[in-house]
Amino acid sequence: MGAYGSRGADQAALAVTAGEPAGIGPDITIAAWRRRRELALPPFYVVADAAFLERRAGELGTAVPLAVVEPEDAAGVFATALPVVDLAMPVTSAPGRPDASSAPAAIAAIRRAVADVMAGRATAIVTNPIAKNVLYRSGFPEPGHTEFLARLVHESSGRECRPVMMLWSPELAVVPVTIHLPLADVPKCLDEALIVETARIVAADLMQRFGIARPRLAIAGLNPHAGEDGALGREDGAIVAPAVARLNAEGIAAKGPLPADTMFHAAARASYDAALCMYHDQALIPIKTLAFDHAVNVTLGLPFVRTSPDHGTAFDIAGTGRADISSLVAALALARRLAVREPVAA
Amino acid sequence: MANECRESVRPTIALAMGDPAGVSPELLARLLAEKDVTASARIVIFGDRRILDGGAEVAGVSLDIDTVAEEAQVPAEQVPAGQVPAEPARPVLVDLKNLDPKDVTPSTATLAGGRFATENFRRALLCAAAGKAHAVMFTPFNKKAMRFAYPAYDDEIRFISDTLKDDSPAREFNVLDQLWNARVTSHIPLSEVANAITADAILRNLSLADSCMRAAGFARPRIAVAGLNPHAGDGGNFGREEIDVIEPAVNEAIRRGYAAEGPFPADTVFLRAKRGDFNAVLTMYHDQGQIAMKLMGFDRGVTLVGGYSFPICTPAHGTAYDIAGKGIANVGATRQAMLLAIRMASRARA
Repeated sequence: MGAYGSRGADQAALAVTAGEPAGIGPDITIAAWRRRRELALPPFYVVADAAFLERRAGELGTAVPLAVVEPEDAAGVFATALPVVDLAMPVTSAPGRPDASSAPAAIAAIRRAVADVMAGRATAIVTNPIAKNVLYRSGFPEPGHTEFLARLVHESSGRECRPVMMLWSPELAVVPVTIHLPLADVPKCLDEALIVETARIVAADLMQRFGIARPRLAIAGLNPHAGEDGALGREDGAIVAPAVARLNAEGIAAKGPLPADTMFHAAARASYDAALCMYHDQALIPIKTLAFDHAVNVTLGLPFVRTSPDHGTAFDIAGTGRADISSLVAALALARRLAVREPVAA
Repeated sequence: MANECRESVRPTIALAMGDPAGVSPELLARLLAEKDVTASARIVIFGDRRILDGGAEVAGVSLDIDTVAEEAQVPAEQVPAGQVPAEPARPVLVDLKNLDPKDVTPSTATLAGGRFATENFRRALLCAAAGKAHAVMFTPFNKKAMRFAYPAYDDEIRFISDTLKDDSPAREFNVLDQLWNARVTSHIPLSEVANAITADAILRNLSLADSCMRAAGFARPRIAVAGLNPHAGDGGNFGREEIDVIEPAVNEAIRRGYAAEGPFPADTVFLRAKRGDFNAVLTMYHDQGQIAMKLMGFDRGVTLVGGYSFPICTPAHGTAYDIAGKGIANVGATRQAMLLAIRMASRARA
């Protein structure tokens, strides 16, 4: 893990951001803490406005003891109270109704969590969902969470990093090489360097964080049947195949381009640790099909571990107690395991 | 073989033996050992007895079938119109003697294998086209071998159109239990997909899916239409095809009376369909549907070619050269393909 977060990994807690306050982030965080023993959750603290959190617990009909703490003391009180690192920034949003306090609170929580993990006060960070449109309206300059994290890393350490999104579940790990692009733009944006650079980061983090000595990558083809020797598109031969060859020349075990429709069944999955996919739905369709409610979003390429649940703010059910905590629970467990470097089967 | 079979309750299925070097022979032998399947249809097989015997040996089953040398010798259905036959029909093999087992190279795509499979397929198609069978089924082909024998073999549809001299706009459907997948574009480069997505193409494919599904027994199939872009375009943030093309097409389909809905994000639409919200998903491109369908049931998936005057079914998987001859191939998808052929053939005559 390098210089960051290694100090006192056994005693320190995970930093959890509350996310968009009007969304389900606060709900599932409170609900997860209440089931901490049953689910054997690792100690964590929430970065939030404590008064807001108390109010939300009341709205959910659950009295939860809160302990406003410094990050260092969170693990010690976790068994008896939900530790809160208080933002001292009043939040007024009601469930499902983001207001002017939403974006500043969401952003401040991320800043604090990153500062904590960079200073070793937290072992890793787990971010609850934010509402991009709410942030954009407030003048948030980054496309999303992930890019913001990279900027914070740069601001605090001068270090340039290229974050890579991985969706992880015990069944399958996928990395979309291109993400939120119109499908028509995917072939134009795909090039050999993008695939190679992404794969290097994935391979490095599978080694360093997941403890896989020699990670095996499966690289999907772009076209049906991986282009069928050029008959169904030339990118697989012209872009993907050379990228795979270059990776292997660098000593990274990669195979492909593989036909995307036959690379995800159980026997095929046993032959690789992560699949690189050329576009969003090529990655999302298989993981949602295999692990709908327990996939975790992991950001690779950062100097610390960051995971998040693989769902949105779900404004329609915020404050009702109906939100499913599975993905957050999986995100907490994975963050802990990666932060303390326990071997994880990808 | 006489035309009277059209009058009986039991449908006739013309079955083409597929690629001899893979799992096709053993799967066919296993299928013919499933008594509930053979009891519900007259099965007329086109191929070579020696290859089928080899499959039976691998599968460890004994064959309970008749063999004739000419298609004309296939016994006619002797059951009066509208009555259920008292005796199950024994499957009949029309022994074309078109492949000596010593010419089979196991687990290899060869010209000999391609010639065998294309001839069997042609005979089965012509049998059905002549009204002597109500559906066609085949065990897996190897595309490379098919191309050795028939260089213009792009896919099954091209071969069928050539053989039948019928340019009907046919399409492949994937069927998994009660869930269907139809697609607007299929074997084209991904870079050409967005331009090929037109309201007209969506409506044509939706209409064909609807009619094939009615032929398979759905009274009013509920069809979900997938978006093209991530998160179905997220309100135009990640592409405009949903707003400009797909949604208007869905609205037009609804106006025409189809039970269509969408566009939905492609990463969760199959989960909703599997849960029972829809009977079918119309996807915009090949892998959008194939990834989910193959994950949800690789061992039971069926491919149906619809759009001709009779249905054509095959297991969705391929020749499985890696496990051929080991006797471990799973007959599930082959069985489902035959059951779908029988279901559609029966309803077509009802």
